[in-house]
Amino acid sequence: MHIEMASLWQYVLAGVVSGAIYALIAAGFVLIYQVTGIINFAQGEFAMIGAMTAASLNAAGLPVIASAAIAVVVAAAVGGLCHVLAIRPARKASGVTLIFITLGLSVAIRGAALFVWGTNPYSLPAFSSGNAITIFGGVLPPQAAWVLLADAIVFAALYVFFRYTYVGTAVRAAVASPAIASTFGIPLRTFAFWSFVAAAAIGGLGGVVVTPITSATYDMGLTLGLAGFVAAVLGGLDSLPGALVGGFVLGIVEKVSGGVLSTGWEQGVGFLILVLVLVLRPQGLLGKASRRA
Amino acid sequence: MLRSENSARREAGRYLPGALALFAVVAIGVWFLPSYYTGLVTQIGIYALVVIGLNLFMGYAGQVSLGQAAFVGLGAYTSAALAVKLNVTPWLGIMAGAIVAAIVAYALSFIALRLRENLLALATLALGIVINVVFNEWDFIGGSSGFKGIPGFALFGHVFDLRDYAILSWAFVVAGLWFAGNLVRSNFGRSLIAISAGELGAATLGVDAERLKRQTFVLSAAYAGVAGALYASYASYIDPSSFGFLLSVNFVLMSVIGGMRSLWGAVIGAAIVVLLREVLQGVVPLVLPSARGDFQSFFFGAILVLMLILLPNGLTRWREGRSS
Repeated sequence: MHIEMASLWQYVLAGVVSGAIYALIAAGFVLIYQVTGIINFAQGEFAMIGAMTAASLNAAGLPVIASAAIAVVVAAAVGGLCHVLAIRPARKASGVTLIFITLGLSVAIRGAALFVWGTNPYSLPAFSSGNAITIFGGVLPPQAAWVLLADAIVFAALYVFFRYTYVGTAVRAAVASPAIASTFGIPLRTFAFWSFVAAAAIGGLGGVVVTPITSATYDMGLTLGLAGFVAAVLGGLDSLPGALVGGFVLGIVEKVSGGVLSTGWEQGVGFLILVLVLVLRPQGLLGKASRRA
Repeated sequence: MLRSENSARREAGRYLPGALALFAVVAIGVWFLPSYYTGLVTQIGIYALVVIGLNLFMGYAGQVSLGQAAFVGLGAYTSAALAVKLNVTPWLGIMAGAIVAAIVAYALSFIALRLRENLLALATLALGIVINVVFNEWDFIGGSSGFKGIPGFALFGHVFDLRDYAILSWAFVVAGLWFAGNLVRSNFGRSLIAISAGELGAATLGVDAERLKRQTFVLSAAYAGVAGALYASYASYIDPSSFGFLLSVNFVLMSVIGGMRSLWGAVIGAAIVVLLREVLQGVVPLVLPSARGDFQSFFFGAILVLMLILLPNGLTRWREGRSS
């Protein structure tokens, strides 16, 4: 099997773009898991909500950037709603039951999306017109710059929030020791709610920025969610930098193996890696020794 | 804990009489049902078989599997490949399907069963998807187009019709309930419950948790393999998409809704999920004429979430209330 360096490089670049999306969805997983201990299988659906809302608003005549902004807010609202309606009432349930609840949620959200949008794919124009970006002979669509920009903004904002703000420090305290934190009056339940809102907003943003490249369908959340989730475990479920690294590693490995083997193996290789990581290094690449699982 | 131990003992009546009675109802009922409903009865039987095995692993041993559809697929593909390529009768295909699913589960148990709870859920999910990718990519077993024209069952020259499949699948449900029922009332079953209450505690009582978990995982895969082989001949057509992640999710939801630590719960859960889908498919378009596609899955998901919140122990154990 002879693979040319040029096409290999092209696979890597494609992997960077999908990896950037995975990183955003993985960041949502990590946020929710850190704050609540829940593995949220509805995370991919938040991205779908963002993507579909933006595409349909734009189709209705709104400018792209405005559609994108509203879509992120809608996704965040759906995330908050999920917490209020399904997670909070069941907060006494065991970890595995909560997983089952988020699985049910993802089925419900997908069904609602099917009702609102039908099965047709929706598209969204690129955020800016321009030529394809060429890097060392590899080609990226102009939208790729926006995808990477979204990653940079989100992860920088998360870093600043957790590092330099009072509330961010309180959240870190709550994660480190819920019991002690609550004796200091840190409102754990409120944090749980906002972790769903933030995770949904970040996931929604991921869905919005990728739509000009991939287009959007009501069932895109399943694949995106599973990939984001592999990325999160890969990087370490309790590490936000891990989500970033895990996302890019997964994206590149997927695209390269998809190109070298066959596209069918894209997903398979990701999950093989997930199994390996779970067995050899369950805390992930950047995670600390696992606390909850 | 004490309360649930007691009720577990209470519930541990004999499964055979009830199962035989249900079988009689099915075997007689299918002669009066329109063929569409006979198909549903068969479907419930096949799913129930999977969920009985899953309940042993999840409910009794306290583990979790989000990849059970892959074992159904292994059973289906084994039986279909033997029948299509080598003209092996599906009667042997069932056994081969169960054996292959069990062997794969045995091999995978060394990877998966080292993990617990959340991580076990992730590992079984990942392994299930990897197996599905193998179905998709292996051209020998048809790749993404799968197998068509899988031979059906026949007995003394009589080729099975829809009715026969309903009866056959429920015969397996009876056998499955009987076997699992005996198992959970034995030392084996009590040891499993001890494991689910805490592996360390079980180990101090001399229970070899590793070994029992492995045996239960293998057994649950064998149940799924039998169900898969039945399905392959019944549907006469399989492809990788029939055994994807969403089917695994459905099995888990059937298990949870019926009640994980109950064998009747498996049957009830399978029946409720299949019938709920049917009812919603019928009712939703009447109430909301603009509804498109199979958007009833919204209500399906919402009802499931509601049941999980209100009855985390499942329908068959509703008395134990909300504390889980």
